[in-house]
Amino acid sequence: MYLNDTQLQVRDMARAFADEVIRPAAEALDRDERFPAEIYDEMAKLGLFGIGVPESMGGPGFDTLTYAVVMEELSRGYASVADQCGLLELISTLLVRHGTEAQRKLLPGILAMQQKVAYCITEPEAGTDVSGIRTTAVRDGDGWVLNGGKIWIHNAPVADLGFVLARTDKEAGNRGMSIFIVDLHAAGVERGPKEHKMGQRASQVGALTFTDVRLGADAMLGEPGRGFHMMMSVLDKGRVGIAALAVGIGQAGLEAALEYAGTRMQFGKQIAEFQGVQWLLADMAKDIEAARLLVHSAASKIDNGQDATKACSIAKCFAGDMAVARTADAVQVFGGSGYIRGFEVERLYRDAKITQIYEGTNQIQRMIIARELLKKGAQA
Amino acid sequence: MKILVPVKRVIDYNVKARVRSDGSGVDLANVKMSMNPFDEIAVEEAIRLKESGKASEVIAVSIGVKQAAETLRTALAMGADRAILVVAADDVHQDIEPLAVARILAKVAQEEGAGLIIAGKQPIDNDMNATGQMLAALLGWAQATFASKLEVDGGKARVTREVDGGLQTIEVSLPAVVTADLRLNEPRYASLPNIMKAKKKPLDEKTAGDYGVDVSPRLEVLKTREPEGRKAGIRVGSVDELVGKLKEAGVI
Repeated sequence: MYLNDTQLQVRDMARAFADEVIRPAAEALDRDERFPAEIYDEMAKLGLFGIGVPESMGGPGFDTLTYAVVMEELSRGYASVADQCGLLELISTLLVRHGTEAQRKLLPGILAMQQKVAYCITEPEAGTDVSGIRTTAVRDGDGWVLNGGKIWIHNAPVADLGFVLARTDKEAGNRGMSIFIVDLHAAGVERGPKEHKMGQRASQVGALTFTDVRLGADAMLGEPGRGFHMMMSVLDKGRVGIAALAVGIGQAGLEAALEYAGTRMQFGKQIAEFQGVQWLLADMAKDIEAARLLVHSAASKIDNGQDATKACSIAKCFAGDMAVARTADAVQVFGGSGYIRGFEVERLYRDAKITQIYEGTNQIQRMIIARELLKKGAQA
Repeated sequence: MKILVPVKRVIDYNVKARVRSDGSGVDLANVKMSMNPFDEIAVEEAIRLKESGKASEVIAVSIGVKQAAETLRTALAMGADRAILVVAADDVHQDIEPLAVARILAKVAQEEGAGLIIAGKQPIDNDMNATGQMLAALLGWAQATFASKLEVDGGKARVTREVDGGLQTIEVSLPAVVTADLRLNEPRYASLPNIMKAKKKPLDEKTAGDYGVDVSPRLEVLKTREPEGRKAGIRVGSVDELVGKLKEAGVI
């Protein structure tokens, strides 16, 4: 095994926490679409948010591979919970890399979830193609005035702080966008209703509208015009995180299916004794393992400072497609029961679908893989 | 007051144990190993005593193969201050018997000047339930086994014990050996920052020879076999049939 003792220790801790705290709560959280503040409080105390924040800034300072391992285990418990961990990892990575000393002072409150954050990129006209954003921040004295609207924003109904991508220069294309830290309780911020989603239903998602929201001089994160670049710089890590999350969903499906196949009797024997069921289980196991290795390989590339773009897109695309296909198999093993609310595999199948869509659709991932191939060749 | 906590590396409780083909014991090669769950409870109790100001230092000790260092790292990540690894075997299949473990622990306790030893009541692998008792005897200390509650006050400890008939509360003078039962506490998870910090905490490596203790086995395992598989039951059609079957079996 290539994971070191410390990574295994972290994995075991995250696995135990997922088994004992997250997984038993998942069904009710999905049904009630509830924000699990009590679970997040515990996770914050255990240092499960901001895994990569260096020790000098109050974090545990773990590498991307450890982050991926944690994401898989949390997601095995419940993907919505893992997604909150992923969101905080991206926000904290941005603050660590680009924040001023004053802005970094926000980190402890954010990682303790006393200040809930939202990462506000997507707009009605700008999803996968971020360059289409219309939200603007216009200079006003030593600050800015923010106008525009964001949709499908994770945590929007509950968040305190927004990290908002806005256009600061209409002429400069991708170099004309900047990221602002916005108090979401300020005048001019309006929250849309919570979206009712197919899966990952404990994640609170909604719209945010900004009307003449005044931002102070210290609101901009990093350099002006570098917003798009900063966002792209954390994309690789984001994709590894979502890929790991997809593996966790698949793994939970395999565990449930394996257990069920060993107890469900038909024609006088366990259904696990039928070859048709065995093939489903075998396909699940091999694709999950392949996806996991792709995730770990991509994470290691990031940690070693190698070019990880293609590896991260391959991992994200493969793991997302795998999670959808193999949780469908898990439902199949359960037969009619798998189609009933309250059976874990039914939820897992719904939770899996978004992993082909968010953090860059799997169509975009394929475009990136092809672009990298055409640019650098088949062996790069 | 220093608290000594012995921890044992055992087969993980989630692993389905398999007997080795030669019948010499349970197969431990390439099997996930963890800290004995009762020892985890002991570590937690010691850390709580330190956090409440009743103890100055928590020292975790493990006796066995080199790999027990991982188990000690877990104790350190939970909050123990330092650890001592006593290497007493090369082969993961060699179990160090309770008397040898107790002899080494007695030496460590004297060297360290420990005021309290909290041990798990038994390991989940061989269920010996002997080390704590032997250790108290060797040291000539009081013992309070199967603890479900522990209060330390000055030179005394008040311990609630889980005994067959219910709960028994006793008071012992320190130094003493307390063994932890399941309900003593719920062990914490090691936080990520503490896992990182544990890497820098001191872990001394010793050998059984350093303490002059002979660890060669005194017991001979003749045979190990898996429990008989459960025979399939039968389905009864009515309560009358059930009662009939139970009478037939002579149980009612």
